[in-house]
Amino acid sequence: MDPRQRPLLHRRLGVFKGLAWSLVALLVLIYAWLQIVRHGEFKQLAMQQAVKIRPIAAPRGLVLDRNGYRLVDNRRALHLVIQREDLPTRPEVVQSLAQALELDPAGLMRKIQSYRLAGKGRPLVLKENLDDVGIAQAERVRARFPFLSVDVAPRRVYLGDELAGHVLGYVGEVDEPMMKANPDVFRLGETIGKEGFEASGNDKLKGVDGQKRILVDQLGTEVAHFGQTDAVAGHSLYLTLDAGLQKVMQDAYGEEAGAAVVLDLRDGGILAMYSSPSYDPNLFLNRLSQEMVDRYLNNPARPMINRAIQGIYAPGSTFKLLVALAGLEKGVITPQTVIYCAGKKNFYGRDFRCDKPTGHGGLNLVQAIAQSCDVYFYEVASRLDVDDIYATAEKYGLTERTGIDLPREKRTRIPSRAWKRKAVPKDPKWYAGETISVGIGQGAVGVTPIGLARFYATLATRGKVLTPHLFYGFRSDQTNQLEPAPPPGTKETPLDPRLWAVLDEGLYEVVQSGTAAANPFIREIAREAPFVGKTGTAQVATFVDKSHYARQAKHLKDHALFAGYAPHDKPQIAFAVVVENAGFGSTAAAPIAAKLVKYWFVDRVKNPIPPPRGRMVDPFAPPAEAAE
Amino acid sequence: MKDRVRALDSRLLWVILALMALGTLTLYSAGRNTPQATIWLKQTVWNLMGLALMLLLANTNPRRVLRYSFPAYLLGLAALAAVLVVGKKIGGATRWFVVAGQTFQPSELMKWVTLLYVSQRLGSRPADAIGRLELLGAVGLVAFPMLLVQRQPDLGMALSFLPILLIIPLMKGLRARWVVALLLLVTVGGFAAWKVALKPYQKQRVMIFLDPSSDLQGKGYQVNQSRIAIGSGGLIGKGFTSGSQTQLNFLPVKTTDFAFSVWAEERGFLGVLLALGLFGLLLGRILDAAKAAHTTAEAYFCAGAAGIFALHLLVNVGMVAGALPNKGMVLPFFSAGGSSTLSFFLALGLIMGILYRSKVK
Repeated sequence: MDPRQRPLLHRRLGVFKGLAWSLVALLVLIYAWLQIVRHGEFKQLAMQQAVKIRPIAAPRGLVLDRNGYRLVDNRRALHLVIQREDLPTRPEVVQSLAQALELDPAGLMRKIQSYRLAGKGRPLVLKENLDDVGIAQAERVRARFPFLSVDVAPRRVYLGDELAGHVLGYVGEVDEPMMKANPDVFRLGETIGKEGFEASGNDKLKGVDGQKRILVDQLGTEVAHFGQTDAVAGHSLYLTLDAGLQKVMQDAYGEEAGAAVVLDLRDGGILAMYSSPSYDPNLFLNRLSQEMVDRYLNNPARPMINRAIQGIYAPGSTFKLLVALAGLEKGVITPQTVIYCAGKKNFYGRDFRCDKPTGHGGLNLVQAIAQSCDVYFYEVASRLDVDDIYATAEKYGLTERTGIDLPREKRTRIPSRAWKRKAVPKDPKWYAGETISVGIGQGAVGVTPIGLARFYATLATRGKVLTPHLFYGFRSDQTNQLEPAPPPGTKETPLDPRLWAVLDEGLYEVVQSGTAAANPFIREIAREAPFVGKTGTAQVATFVDKSHYARQAKHLKDHALFAGYAPHDKPQIAFAVVVENAGFGSTAAAPIAAKLVKYWFVDRVKNPIPPPRGRMVDPFAPPAEAAE
Repeated sequence: MKDRVRALDSRLLWVILALMALGTLTLYSAGRNTPQATIWLKQTVWNLMGLALMLLLANTNPRRVLRYSFPAYLLGLAALAAVLVVGKKIGGATRWFVVAGQTFQPSELMKWVTLLYVSQRLGSRPADAIGRLELLGAVGLVAFPMLLVQRQPDLGMALSFLPILLIIPLMKGLRARWVVALLLLVTVGGFAAWKVALKPYQKQRVMIFLDPSSDLQGKGYQVNQSRIAIGSGGLIGKGFTSGSQTQLNFLPVKTTDFAFSVWAEERGFLGVLLALGLFGLLLGRILDAAKAAHTTAEAYFCAGAAGIFALHLLVNVGMVAGALPNKGMVLPFFSAGGSSTLSFFLALGLIMGILYRSKVK
């Protein structure tokens, strides 16, 4: 080496050495900043991604009928989910995930966004109730999107299928509007009752979710598990429903539309409630397919409506008992009052016709009820004001909702002057002629089957206005036996025993000698299990000539009704039966009532119907198969 | 054998052995419960081969090695050109030869060969005798293999050729106005590039570097996880094989680019201090070798080698902490890999040889 150069080189290398140590010092400073100054923040982040809190879904309570038979059960099902902390953010990821799972990308993005905004909650369910093919697909997709996981969760099974669809309802994921309205009550992704008793009994059934703390690796796989709060299972509940009676009712309706209710006169418990066409709640646990939407939501027969509490029907002649009661209590008639029926009668310049064109002749009240003479009740109505009829209806609870423990019950419609002012503001005046139609349960009168059944229960109990209900009691955790809950309150409205006796006799004669007696089937059952009741045939449209009746389109036919109670001497049950567009009450509705009475009082003991088993043998069966 | 071992500089050797130990522990922990569980063993084999290579070169006269630098340089260029044609493509880049099941990255070795050749050329005559044109030629000698490497493409590797140019200020000194001019050029050029030349996705990359948390599931993910690993390690670390980021696989590529994060997480700031201190001693000892060197060419080689080691240290340790862009550059003794390990030991062997010659005269 050139000796002149060496000192210069040494000086420069000294600078290099200084630079090298400066570099080391700089790196030390960077690490001090991360590891000492910002240590807490990064420690937190490391914890957050490795330690996860996973909710443990509380098993929902079972629903049993009054005999302890299972109506709603829980089974194990597998779902493809994304845990809340692992929701993807990038649109490309969501897009390709949606493609891989054959989901709508925009919908998935929306769902993910709403999940991100919410607080703690259950995982986002992408595919529910996986079958073998679904599990295989899920595993394939999971290889590409490691943030997916397969969750085991209990799934509801409605053992009776269509047996009590409207009564039981179904469960689903809490929807956004509901959650926004009650942010403290519901959590995102939570399963709640959507319809029927699942909805109204949700608080009792749902239980309290638990949670566990787990250590996960980068793929979200559980590596270790420390500490958990166990879920508290929801209560299992008994309903007042009798599955056997419900089955009789379902079979009796067959293809006919309508609704029927049977009440227990002791406490107002609902022994059976059926709305036809019914639906299978099992199908509503999955995402709705187009086929399902067409079959249920777009069906003109409107199977999703619970006609028993939401159907408003003209009561027809079944309303005559209330008119009679109003007349008796107001004193415009007595049990002995005889009115002459000539087949029609003129009121206010217009002819009102009786069902029997040749006329019934002279009739007292019992005979008028038995024969369902329209002219008799036109006359009673003409002696009353519409507000008198309304006042009686109000007194016996017919103007209010019954307060049944099911969501969205409709109110019956009993017209009054005040009602017309509000309902028909264009023509607010009440015309006396309108009262005549109300006299036979036509015109503006509309009742729900449950309301009608309760009115007949009031007649049967001589003035008790019961509160119909489905909740019977809790199943004890210790003994697995029923712990009956106190039934909801009853309003006592004493009915004059002399007046009651007349009405009771009239209802007895309907079945023994009156409008319902022509049917031999009814007479036969009435001998075995004496029941009483009133037929009703409510006009859907007015016909010029009744001989054309049979040729009329089905949807223009009258609604058939039958309401009553049984047994005659010491009533235990009351019922109302409505069959839509079926014609006469005596031929279409009364036989259904007779079958109910026969099962309840005769076959239930001798030859009971076995508890529902459910069609679904394989809980993983896809919904299409389950439906057929 | 004893005589041969004596050729090794004990101060440098202890630093190397200590860093090797740290790196092996890191790889053992990083590979646990993964398909790479035995990577620490493989790396130990490479290290042993490296030590043998070092021992051999320490006992070789550096002048003999320098004599072959020109043919080696030509051979290296040929290899870089060849790898572009027949190399194995992994992850979109063609960087590797495959020989008997082992991959070999010629660019790792070529960087040292280039340093050797440039040192030899510039060190062969007194510094005053070398004109600007010759300096420019030297820059060209470095730039040519860099361009070939960048064709693979491998920007990180190409950049690691740059410290070779440190020889120039070592020869000629550094004038303040040059530094100012260079800084100005970088600033203006960078601004112009941002405004005119860079495509949106390239700008995005720069933005992600500036704020890694803005793209947690993409490019920023790795660095973000690495920062969490380092930061959560704290002062004393989470303990050997107990780092949650490492053991639960949140930390990516933890046996190569992000190996230092494993060390930082499990051994904490004190462990980082130890590792960085050892690296400081390593650089210092290499620069001592430059001072002690018999010939100018040997001094240049040592200075350039220190620069290359320093750049690897800066870019890797800075990158995993999020202080520099995410450009793959391995960390000597920590990142697993055969080509880089052997290349580093080759350089260290030459330096050992230079130190030995200076002592025995």
